[in-house]
Amino acid sequence: MTMSHAVISCLHANLAACEAVLADIDQQGIDTITCLGDLVGYGPQPNEVIELVRERSIPTCQGCWDEDIIDGLNACECSYPSQLAERRGHRAHHWAAERITEDNKVFLASLPMTLRRDRLLFVHGSPNSQHEYLLPDMSAFAALERVETAGAETLFCGHTHQPYVRELSEGSIRVSVQTNGNHSDSEQEMTLPMRRIVNAGSVGEPRHGSTKATYVVHDDDSGAVSVREVEYDVSKTCRAIVEAGLPEVFAWRLSHGFEYAERAEDASHVCER
Amino acid sequence: MERWALVSGLRGDLDLYEQIQSDLQKRRGTAHLFVLGDMIGPHPKCDALLKRLRQPKRGDLHPHCIYGWLEEQLLSLYGYRGEAKADELQLQSDDSGVQQLRQAVDTEHLNWLASLQFGLIELDCGLIHGSSADVGDELQETTSPLILLDRLTRLDVNRLFTARSGRQFRLQLTGGQIRSRVKDHASEQLHEQPVPKRSVIGVGSGANYTLYDPASDHIEFLSVASRSGASNRIKGFQR
Ligand SMILES: [Zn+2]
Ligand SMILES: [Zn+2]
Repeated sequence: MTMSHAVISCLHANLAACEAVLADIDQQGIDTITCLGDLVGYGPQPNEVIELVRERSIPTCQGCWDEDIIDGLNACECSYPSQLAERRGHRAHHWAAERITEDNKVFLASLPMTLRRDRLLFVHGSPNSQHEYLLPDMSAFAALERVETAGAETLFCGHTHQPYVRELSEGSIRVSVQTNGNHSDSEQEMTLPMRRIVNAGSVGEPRHGSTKATYVVHDDDSGAVSVREVEYDVSKTCRAIVEAGLPEVFAWRLSHGFEYAERAEDASHVCER
Repeated sequence: MERWALVSGLRGDLDLYEQIQSDLQKRRGTAHLFVLGDMIGPHPKCDALLKRLRQPKRGDLHPHCIYGWLEEQLLSLYGYRGEAKADELQLQSDDSGVQQLRQAVDTEHLNWLASLQFGLIELDCGLIHGSSADVGDELQETTSPLILLDRLTRLDVNRLFTARSGRQFRLQLTGGQIRSRVKDHASEQLHEQPVPKRSVIGVGSGANYTLYDPASDHIEFLSVASRSGASNRIKGFQR
């Protein structure tokens, strides 16, 4: 039997999605799970999701929302696509901060920034910060720098809510160096190592163009990574969002699987499914 | 011809600054003077230097100053940057070093220091004390080209002028590439990204400074003979 390892991220207080994903993982006989944080934020069941993760003792690193809930709101503004989105984010922040139990806050505060298993590194945003987005189209050299500086071979991250596997290979950089007092330039070439970035997507707030929850499975023997999509009862979470008095746009977004920054204000057709 | 003079690490030494100014008078055609941080230091003439930078004398090439590592440390000592302490300075120096720095800078300069920019973008060049990753980032010619390219990418400039390492160098990225394969739930994309032709320039520190001609991309590493020598150094501050 091969050893497989599931990586989940961005659960965002969506209990129905978490239960469906954990059931999917169990069904495959996978018993190693790593979580990349954002247990809370946006969704209606923050305590329930934190308690589920604690019950199952899933190793978890701290997400941007987990950090903000315990530190007060110090997210840099550039993590929001617009001022409107920022205001909605603040409302959701206060809603969650009021409801999460002290005990669960202590748990969120105890989460590490990174987890490491041999040459696999697990972070929420990037090794530099829970708030940095490693988007699939960022400069390949800058992406490689994040993995390499952190001393990893494969970097698992989340935070963008869009799953992807990026392989960076066959890289090299040639340089010419001129120094004071040394008049002939010296030429050098550096061969870059092969590295990977795996984004686990989002369990509780997918934005990859589908409403299905996403996570990834890493085959520890072959190194192969597959992106899994799992259906869950979206309307159940949407109803709970509206009932909780959270911004309805969060329900609208869940029922579409997209990030529409401004058009999202039109939340008239929440969860018609 | 509009050359730039790039200076850093004066550390309170007014005499050194005057020497550089008169060196620049002799070398005609220099239009802009950039002081890339570490203006302050435990030097008896630090206060006089700061006054001179803020109110240049007639005939001085007007200095454009940005803040450096020492300014960052001092401002954090006074609580301008989060908690009132300067951990890195404490580590690299000792309590007497911290005291000397505090005494050398009159508090009337603090607001001015706090108003200075972290970096400047001129044409397609970024001028900064360390890098946009950190004011204490010590970039030099032996730093991994991958890190140098990252620092260029973060500022999105073709040339990055840095001072923190104290080294004088120019490292040009001349070639190379990387292959990127991105697979998501729906598609797979393969693409080759070439290394952009960009460079990182270390401008030196103290008596060592750099002239740059943006029109021709010509660099000259210069040095004025330091009269005050190493007398202004305090324990643990050498680089
Ligand atoms: Zn998230
Ligand atoms: Zn996040």
